[in-house]
Amino acid sequence: MFSIALVLSICIGVIAALLVYSNPRIANIWFNILNVIETIPELALFIFLLPILGLGERPTIAACVLYSILPIMRNTYTGLAHISKEYIEIAQAIGLTKNEILIKIRLPMALPLISGGIRVAVVYIMGIITLGGLIAAGGLGVPLQAGIHQYNIPAIIIASFWVGTLGVVFDGIAWIIENKLTRRYNPW
Amino acid sequence: MNPVELRRRIGYVIQQIGLFPHMTVKENISLIPRLEKWNELDITKRVEELLNLVALPPELFINRYPAQLSGGQQQRVGLARALVMNPPLLLMDEPFGALDPLLRMQLQNEFVSIKRKLDKTIVFVTHDIEEGFTLGDRIGVMHNGKILQIGTPSELLFEPINDIVSKIVGSESKFKAIKFLQAKDVMIPLDKKYIFQQEMKCQEAIEKMISAQIEVALVKNSDEEIKQIELTDLLRIKDKEKSIMSIGKKLEIVTPDESLSSVILLLKSSNDKVAIVMSHEVIEGLVIINSVLLNLV
Repeated sequence: MFSIALVLSICIGVIAALLVYSNPRIANIWFNILNVIETIPELALFIFLLPILGLGERPTIAACVLYSILPIMRNTYTGLAHISKEYIEIAQAIGLTKNEILIKIRLPMALPLISGGIRVAVVYIMGIITLGGLIAAGGLGVPLQAGIHQYNIPAIIIASFWVGTLGVVFDGIAWIIENKLTRRYNPW
Repeated sequence: MNPVELRRRIGYVIQQIGLFPHMTVKENISLIPRLEKWNELDITKRVEELLNLVALPPELFINRYPAQLSGGQQQRVGLARALVMNPPLLLMDEPFGALDPLLRMQLQNEFVSIKRKLDKTIVFVTHDIEEGFTLGDRIGVMHNGKILQIGTPSELLFEPINDIVSKIVGSESKFKAIKFLQAKDVMIPLDKKYIFQQEMKCQEAIEKMISAQIEVALVKNSDEEIKQIELTDLLRIKDKEKSIMSIGKKLEIVTPDESLSSVILLLKSSNDKVAIVMSHEVIEGLVIINSVLLNLV
């Protein structure tokens, strides 16, 4: 579930950013929309999605994706659009087309920021999936929610411990990747 | 022709150098060839060839990142990048401006020798007149976005088209540009008053030189040999009835495009006051040492 959500959000987020990076006005419209979605509490989001997608994994994944698009798209957009003008001008002067500049210059130099956005999304998704236990999505959310309802302290503690640890571990992995990318693609 | 194609046919070197920090030296240089789908072997060969041209041994530099290079090394890579597609035109915009003066001089000298090997049209933009004179075959002077005059250093210094050009190239202090000038810039045309016959006596020669206000003269003898006589030597002679041929000294000959500094050195070492400027067996003029300095201010 986690991986599906993550992969989906990355794809949508990055592609969305690629489409709008050169057009600040359109980008702003989208960011406003996503910001609104962000302010909706996850539970409320679940309630909106239940009638459309039913119970279980689907609405959980959908909620994750809706939430994570924002950090990924925003970071990707900033990374792509805000490369130092000097490099873009040189690339143009040497004879690169706009697309070649995107692929060879902007994208590689934006990788550190993009991975930063993905890292944020990782943490979001962890949280939402756990919440998914409420709507029968399975996974660690189930013992946690069940424990809360039944006042089963050990269950709560163990489940929270696992969720927490997983969260930290994933965040740590993402942090390592981000560092490696920064060193490779942003040596100044 | 679309702009992208046009830009790929012009080599471009800029002051800020502008190598892409996330690419190696090889990737930076081979950016356009890769986009033009050259094969890997050709790319490597070409990159090595260019690195050798700009004096960066390929084995050491080919896989380094720009952050690992000094400013001078980076600019050499920048030049290699501009040359990779062998464009007919090279545009260099103050390329040595961001380097320290010593390094700048070194790169300028290297550039002069590379220039000859390249056999390309190069447009070199600079605000340093001396750099322009050193590197350029023809120099254009621009002011307020307009080209005022284009010419060789001599033309710009001695025949500036207006005061602005004169100020920019430093016509007031031509002596600063002494290494860019040639014999023909300071020679005076061969006037009759400088030519004496060999039978003339010393006394007569002295009088003639005083009245013509000249200090040196040329004497031709029957064997078509030309010698020079100096007023000071004539005055020292005891027997003023001797013919001037006997005290004539050998004359130094220079070509019109010989560098001025070497002409001056020549005269200094032979202790002469005059040399003749000859091209294709025709005397074009005289370089008289005293007047040289006067011509240069």
